[in-house]
Amino acid sequence: MNKDINMKVNVLPVLTYNFLHVNDSTLNAGDITIDSLSTPVESVISDEIEVKRDVTFEEAGEIFRANKEKILKTTGVPGIPNGDMSYRDEKQALRTGMGIDIDELMIATNVKAVVYTVPENVKTDKPIVIRYDLANGQGSLSSQVVHARKNSEVTVIMEYSSEKDATGFHGVSTRLLAEEGARITLVKVQLLGNGFVHFDDIGGACFEKGQIDLVSLELGAKKSWTGCYTNLVEKESVFNSNMGYLCRDDHSLDINYVSDHRGKKTEALMQFKGVLMDNASKTFRGTIDFKNGSSGSVGDEQEDALLLSEDVVNKTMPVILCQEEDVDGRHGATIGQLGEDILFYMQTRGIDEEEAKRIIIKARLESVARMIPDPEIMQKVLYYIQGIV
Amino acid sequence: MSDNKQVVADIDHSMYDFKDVENERDFYRLQEGLTEETVLKVSEEKNDPEWMRDFRLKCLKLYNDIKIPDWGPSIEGLDMDKISSYVRHKSDMKGSWEEVPEDIKNTFERLGIPQAERESLAGVGAQYDSELVYHNVKDEVAAQGVIYTDLESALRSEYADMIKEHFMKLVPPTDHKFAALHGAVWSGGSFVYVPKGVKVEIPLQSYFRLNAAGAGQFEHTLIIVDEGADLHFIEGCSAPKYNVANLHAGCVELFVGKNARLRYSTIENWSKNMYNLNTKRAIVEENGRMEWVSGSFGSHTSYLYPMTILKGDNSQMEFTGITFAGKGQNLDTGAKVVHQGKHTSSVISTKSISKDGGIGTYRSSVVIQKSAKKAKASVSCDSLMLDSISRADTIPGMDIRTNDADVGHEAKIGRISDEAVFYLMSRGISEEDAKAMIVSGFANPVSKELPLEYAVEMNNLIKLEMSGNM
Repeated sequence: MNKDINMKVNVLPVLTYNFLHVNDSTLNAGDITIDSLSTPVESVISDEIEVKRDVTFEEAGEIFRANKEKILKTTGVPGIPNGDMSYRDEKQALRTGMGIDIDELMIATNVKAVVYTVPENVKTDKPIVIRYDLANGQGSLSSQVVHARKNSEVTVIMEYSSEKDATGFHGVSTRLLAEEGARITLVKVQLLGNGFVHFDDIGGACFEKGQIDLVSLELGAKKSWTGCYTNLVEKESVFNSNMGYLCRDDHSLDINYVSDHRGKKTEALMQFKGVLMDNASKTFRGTIDFKNGSSGSVGDEQEDALLLSEDVVNKTMPVILCQEEDVDGRHGATIGQLGEDILFYMQTRGIDEEEAKRIIIKARLESVARMIPDPEIMQKVLYYIQGIV
Repeated sequence: MSDNKQVVADIDHSMYDFKDVENERDFYRLQEGLTEETVLKVSEEKNDPEWMRDFRLKCLKLYNDIKIPDWGPSIEGLDMDKISSYVRHKSDMKGSWEEVPEDIKNTFERLGIPQAERESLAGVGAQYDSELVYHNVKDEVAAQGVIYTDLESALRSEYADMIKEHFMKLVPPTDHKFAALHGAVWSGGSFVYVPKGVKVEIPLQSYFRLNAAGAGQFEHTLIIVDEGADLHFIEGCSAPKYNVANLHAGCVELFVGKNARLRYSTIENWSKNMYNLNTKRAIVEENGRMEWVSGSFGSHTSYLYPMTILKGDNSQMEFTGITFAGKGQNLDTGAKVVHQGKHTSSVISTKSISKDGGIGTYRSSVVIQKSAKKAKASVSCDSLMLDSISRADTIPGMDIRTNDADVGHEAKIGRISDEAVFYLMSRGISEEDAKAMIVSGFANPVSKELPLEYAVEMNNLIKLEMSGNM
C-alpha cells in the first residue's frame, strides 16, 4: 500500500464550515496493512440461497450498475443544495456511506467478493452468519453483496472479533439490494481488539416496498469508520437503523449515515445510542435527504450520546436536505453526561455513582444488542459489554 | 378536505424598490474594481489615520490570498471588477433632519425613518450608500453619557484609542475572504458606547440604504456596552432592485460587558440583486447577555451567521431568527456560538420558510470548549416548505469537548399540517384564514421579539396573503 496516499472517506453530502472539521475524514494509508483477504467462517447456508464466491469487486457490483438508472431516478426536478458533494461518488456502482475511495481500495487490492442471491419469494428462517476471527497483526479486506429478489427475506449477521489487545487492520464493504417487497436484515457486530483499525462501508438500495433493517454495534477497535448510504428508490421502501457504540481509551469512531429518499411514502428511522469515555472521540454525520418526488415520506434521526469523561470529543452533524413539500423530517440530539435526576434516583436505591454509570452504559448498549436475531452472538456481545464496562 | 392549494404571496418589495437617480454633480463614485489604488483612494476620502490606511492595505492582501468558501451558495454572479466600493453624496453628514439633502431625505421619509425616530427611538443613524448622511441622538440619552455617532467621527475623537483597541479584533480580517474585503474598503457605520450602569430605555436605530447600482456597502458597526449597561440596537437595511449585482459586506462587532445586556435586532430587506455577505459577532463577559433578533427577507444570496462568544462565566445568548426565501433567492443563514465560560447558556431558535423556488438553508455551529463546564445549549430549527420547487436544508453542527455540558438539538421540516387546518376549520374559520393563521403563527416567535412598530413592519413585509385557490 502506498503510504503517501490517504483516503478521504465519510464525506458529508453537503459541506459546512471548515473549522468544524466534519466535512470528511481521512483514512490514513499508513494504518492499512493488507496481508490477506479475509477468510471468515460461515454458517451453513440454506440451499435456497445462491452463493457466488471469488467474484471481483466490480463484477459483484454489476447488479447495481444494471439498475443504476432506476436507483438514481428522480421523478421530480433535481435540485442542488449549497455545498453539494453528491458528484464525488457518482462513479460508484452503488453509492456507499464511506464513498468511492473504498471502492477504489477494493479494486486496487483485487478483493474478491461473495454474492448472496435470494430467489423470489424465498423467505429464509436461518440467518447467514459470517464470522471473522482475526489474528493479532492480521490485515485483511472483504466484500459482500446481498441481493434479495422480489418478496424474499434474508438475515445476514457479520461479526468481527479478535483477542482483546490484538492489533491489525480489517475493512469490509457490504452492498445490498432489496427488490420489490424484499426485506434484508443486516447485523454488524464489531468486537475487535484495542489495536485494530477497522472500517465498515455499507450501501443499500430498496425498490418498491423493499426494506433494509440494519443493526450495528461498534464496541472495539482503536480507530473505526462506518458509513451507510441507503437509496429509498421506490414507493413505500423502508430503512431502519439502530446503532450502539462505545468509545473508550483513545479510540475514535467516525460515522456517516445517509437516507436518500426518492420514492413516494418512503420511511427512514435512524437511531444512534452511544457512550464516550476516557480520551475517546466520535464524529457522527447523519443525513436525511428528501429528493423532489419523495412526497409522503418520513425521515427521523435521533442521537443520544452519553459523555462520561471530561476529555472526550463529540461532534454531531444531523443534516436534513429537503426539496419536497409533503414530507415529515425531524432530527433530535441529546448530548451530555448522566442526568442528575437519574443518579439521584439510583443513589436513593443504594447504588453509587460508578455503579449507576455501569448500569446505564449496559442498558444503552444492551438495548441494541438485544436486537441481534442470533442468540449465541447476542450472548457473546452481552458478555463483551459486561467485560468492558 | 379540498386538495386545492392556497397561494402564499411572495414578499412585496415594492415599498423599498424605488430608485433615486444619482447624478455626477451630487455624488462622488469611486471607479469599479478592487486594487491598491482604489483602497488608497477610499482611505484618502476618509482621511484615515496612518494605522487605518496600513490596515486597509494589509486586508487587501488577505482578500486576494483567501479563497471563496467551498460550502455556501454560489457567488459566481458577483464580479468585484464591476462593483464600486465607495459612493457618497457630496454633502456632509447632518445632525438636523432639515439639512439633509432633499433627494436623500425623500428616500428616508418614504421608508418612515424620521417618523420612527420621533415616535419610538432614542437615536437614529442613516447611511446612504457609503456614508452616514444623518446622525442624531436624543438629548436625554446623550446626557446619560451614551455615545452614538458615525465611526469616522469617533476615530478622530477622544474615543479614537478605544476604537483602535476594538476595531476588527473580534472579526479579524483573516476570518474569511469578505471580512478581509470589509477591512480594506469599510466606510460608514456607527459607534455606540453605553457607559457603566446606563440603561437606554428605548432603542437606537441605524438604517442602511444602498441606492447606487453596481455598488458595495461596507459599513462597520462597533458597539460597546459597558459593565451593567443595557441597550437595544435596531438595524434596518434596504435597497432598490437593479439588474446588476450589488454587494453588502458589512461588519458588526459587539462587546457586552460584565452584567450588561445587548439586544441587536435586524430587519434585512435588501433587494434581490444583493449579495449579502455580512459578518456579525459578539463577545459576552461574565453574567452578560446577548440577544439577537434577526429577520432575513431580501437579498439574492446571503451568508449570514451572527456569532456569539460566551467568554465570561454565566454569560448567556439567545438567537431568534426567521428567513423567508422566495423566488430567485438563496439565503444561507443561521447562528454560531462558542461556549468558553462556566455555566454559560445559549438558545438558538430559527424559522425558515421556502417558496417559489427559493433556497433556504439553516446552518449553525455550537462549540462547547473544555473550559465551559455546566454549559447548556439548545438548538431548535423549523422549516416550512410551501411548495415542491423550493429547498429547505438544515445543516447544524455541534462540537462538544466536555462531558459536563448539556446539549439538546431538534429540527423539523414539513408543510402546513392538514390536521391543524382541519382543527381551525372545525371552529368555524375558513380554510384560507386557517392557513394564513398557521403561517403567521409560524413567524410569530420572531415578530413578538420585536418592538411593536417593527413587528408590524415585519408582518407587512411577509405579507402572507392567502389569496384564493390556485
